[in-house]
Amino acid sequence: MLCQNCGKKEATMYFRQNINGQTKELNLCPDCAKELGVQDQFAHSFQSAFAKPFGSWFDDDPFFSQSFPSLFGAPFSQAAQLGSGRRCPTCGMTESELQHTGRAGCAECYNIFDDILTPYIRKLQGATAHVGTAPHPQNDTQPVENPTAALKTKLEQAIKQENYEEAARLRDEIRRLEGEQHA
Amino acid sequence: MRNFSIHGGFTGLAASTRVRLARNVKGYPYRGLTPGQLDEIAHKVWDALSTAPAASHGLSLTDVRAGSEQAMQLVERHMISPEFARKGGKLIASESGDIAIMLGEEDHIRLQVMGEGLCPKECMETAKRLSDLIESQVPFDYSERLGYLTACPSNLGTGLRVSVMLHLPVLTRSGAVERMINWAARQGFTVRGAYGEGSRAAGGFYQISNQITLGLSEQAITEKLISVATEVIDQEKKAREQLRTANQDGLFDAVARAAGVLQYARLLSSEEAASCISNVLIGLQMGYLTGVSAADLIEAEQQTRPALLAGDPAARDRIRAERLREVTSGLHVTA
Repeated sequence: MLCQNCGKKEATMYFRQNINGQTKELNLCPDCAKELGVQDQFAHSFQSAFAKPFGSWFDDDPFFSQSFPSLFGAPFSQAAQLGSGRRCPTCGMTESELQHTGRAGCAECYNIFDDILTPYIRKLQGATAHVGTAPHPQNDTQPVENPTAALKTKLEQAIKQENYEEAARLRDEIRRLEGEQHA
Repeated sequence: MRNFSIHGGFTGLAASTRVRLARNVKGYPYRGLTPGQLDEIAHKVWDALSTAPAASHGLSLTDVRAGSEQAMQLVERHMISPEFARKGGKLIASESGDIAIMLGEEDHIRLQVMGEGLCPKECMETAKRLSDLIESQVPFDYSERLGYLTACPSNLGTGLRVSVMLHLPVLTRSGAVERMINWAARQGFTVRGAYGEGSRAAGGFYQISNQITLGLSEQAITEKLISVATEVIDQEKKAREQLRTANQDGLFDAVARAAGVLQYARLLSSEEAASCISNVLIGLQMGYLTGVSAADLIEAEQQTRPALLAGDPAARDRIRAERLREVTSGLHVTA
């Protein structure tokens, strides 16, 4: 079997992850395994997964481990991978690095690679807008805004303009957001 | 036993709770942080925490050297990730380990608060207090649209991961746990068997954590986790009562035998230990046994996994048996 990452060399290493009862499998050649760092990662998570009941707290949790979403989830299309070779001016992250690691190199990457990241975020999170704590205004960070406040202003405008279709959509969105906050 | 300051309900069924927040300090890259930059971040965070002695009381800032013995011990205590242990960094933590702030993990700041039992709200309060305190002095990367920015898009928004470790041995044995996993997944939660893979988790420990961090408020995530965990706990309790009704003698016998093994065995394999501990936990919760706290027993189970004991397999079995005899010395059968 050929390596699922490079598609060229023979895959000699097999990795498996079980989350929510679903097993994800990956066959890699030694070079790709090494390059992606999966070898150590998985060796470790395997060890801990079998070794201690609490192992999964850190090791198997995507929050605290490299979960290789770009490999397991195939978030980026082949076409995007052959893309323009953009580079983030702030941290130097290139498009192909981003696709390989599935991680941003700095805050600016979220702007520079917005077109790649937004669909990926939607796929991962099922949403692309934050609802939750914002920094306090005195912190000299971005202005705080309650996400529903902006929508409510838009809703009023839509009603004034008798754009009822849009108003209904906004109303549902506000309800959804507020509902979630109280869910 | 660790002296966690946060305690929640359902101890024994809910082993412990963890709340984790990911944050990045404005103006620094997420990868390739130089030692100097990490130092700066660590001191900024430490200074911010020091402005409120009441909140930061008992915390200390230490260097975690890559691959050191100390690093491995911190991993064992679930205070740092294995990744962080390999790579090294700075750690701000409480002595009991219930608060641990990793500096220089995948994100600049990974703040964790742990508690006993089911206590996501209480852990969240502490985590938020600490994070607000840091943020009052050290601005974080934040976008109006995406919320708190993290290296991995899977943590964007709230940057919040809440998890609870549940002990579900009876649901596991009856096979009902599969349905529970599917149900929780539909609610947006990830369930991980402590032993992973398709095999039924030995000992019946499962971790439930939120999958989604963006588009839901911290409160919604926390409350949803509580309701999912409570529902699962109720199911386990019901299953235990059904078992009692169906075969009281058999259940009591299994529990009492397990107690005997833990109290007197001289050699214990990890599988046998896990299964006995599981039965003793059932016995404690159902009133057949008393004299030992569920939390101590869970902790002992955790400390006696093969990877955490030194020596060859035979030596490990001996040390494990010894440790468990110690922990269960006060255990007695009630009826």
